[in-house]
Amino acid sequence: MSSGALAKPQMQGLLARRLRIHIVGAFAVSLGVAALYKFGVAGPRKKAYADFYRNYDSMKDFEEMRKAGTFQSAK
Amino acid sequence: MAYPYQLGFQDATSPIMEELLHFHDHTLMIVFLISTLVLYLISLMLTTKLTHTSTMDAQEVETIWTILPAIILIMIALPSLRILYMMDEVNNPALTVKTMGHQWYWSYEYTDYEELNFDSYMTPTTDLKPGELRLLEVDNRVVLPMEMPVRMLISSEDVLHSWAVPSLGLKTDAIPGRLNQAILTSSRPGLFYGQCSEICGSNHSFMPIVIEMVPLKTFENWCSSML
Repeated sequence: MSSGALAKPQMQGLLARRLRIHIVGAFAVSLGVAALYKFGVAGPRKKAYADFYRNYDSMKDFEEMRKAGTFQSAK
Repeated sequence: MAYPYQLGFQDATSPIMEELLHFHDHTLMIVFLISTLVLYLISLMLTTKLTHTSTMDAQEVETIWTILPAIILIMIALPSLRILYMMDEVNNPALTVKTMGHQWYWSYEYTDYEELNFDSYMTPTTDLKPGELRLLEVDNRVVLPMEMPVRMLISSEDVLHSWAVPSLGLKTDAIPGRLNQAILTSSRPGLFYGQCSEICGSNHSFMPIVIEMVPLKTFENWCSSML
């Protein structure tokens, strides 16, 4: 004789429960990946371009390149 | 220019290319989102013995997976069309340069004020100086003024070619008997490399393009020296 009866396990709706949990999980993971890309790659790239051009002096850049002998048209 | 093990685009030199870069980031983010979702769902289906054997219809999920992709497609299409129209804007270029594709070199014509024509052949590998780039250098570069819109008129004298400069976001087919227009604006000085992008015979890989962006005064002096 058993000392105490076990609780009756869930016998119906197992697939539905699995789907419910994992659909939420799937959307969470995919949105997480998208957020990771946006804040890890796209955002830093936008910032890098903004930072580069904020105080950019094209004539100064040109003079440095000219002194380095880069151009055919300006020695 | 391109570098070894490169995965992404070259650094943008024109405002249009910057827009294209950010649009590509936006679209790739959506691609990763959808791919992760689909991969997760596939692995879910492969790791269970549970089945549903009496499915008759699924109206709710069918509605969701019709509406959601339509929204995603609109989120991609709107920025795409914005950039497409931006590329077509007429912004009164102060200079027009014509380039003709030949087998296997490019020729350039600056005919706004005087008649300046020259050919641009690839520098053979045996003639390269130290530090020069193999298969990318040319004898006569296309010198253009920076920070100004320039109109390029592109055509061909023989077969199809394509005039492409990735860092400026340009690729325009050179079609015999047809004039194609591309507008070019560089945000900074320097050298920008490209290669013929339409198969045109045995030396298709050996007719590169080098644009030399310089200040307007330097460009004017160069034009006078070339005449």
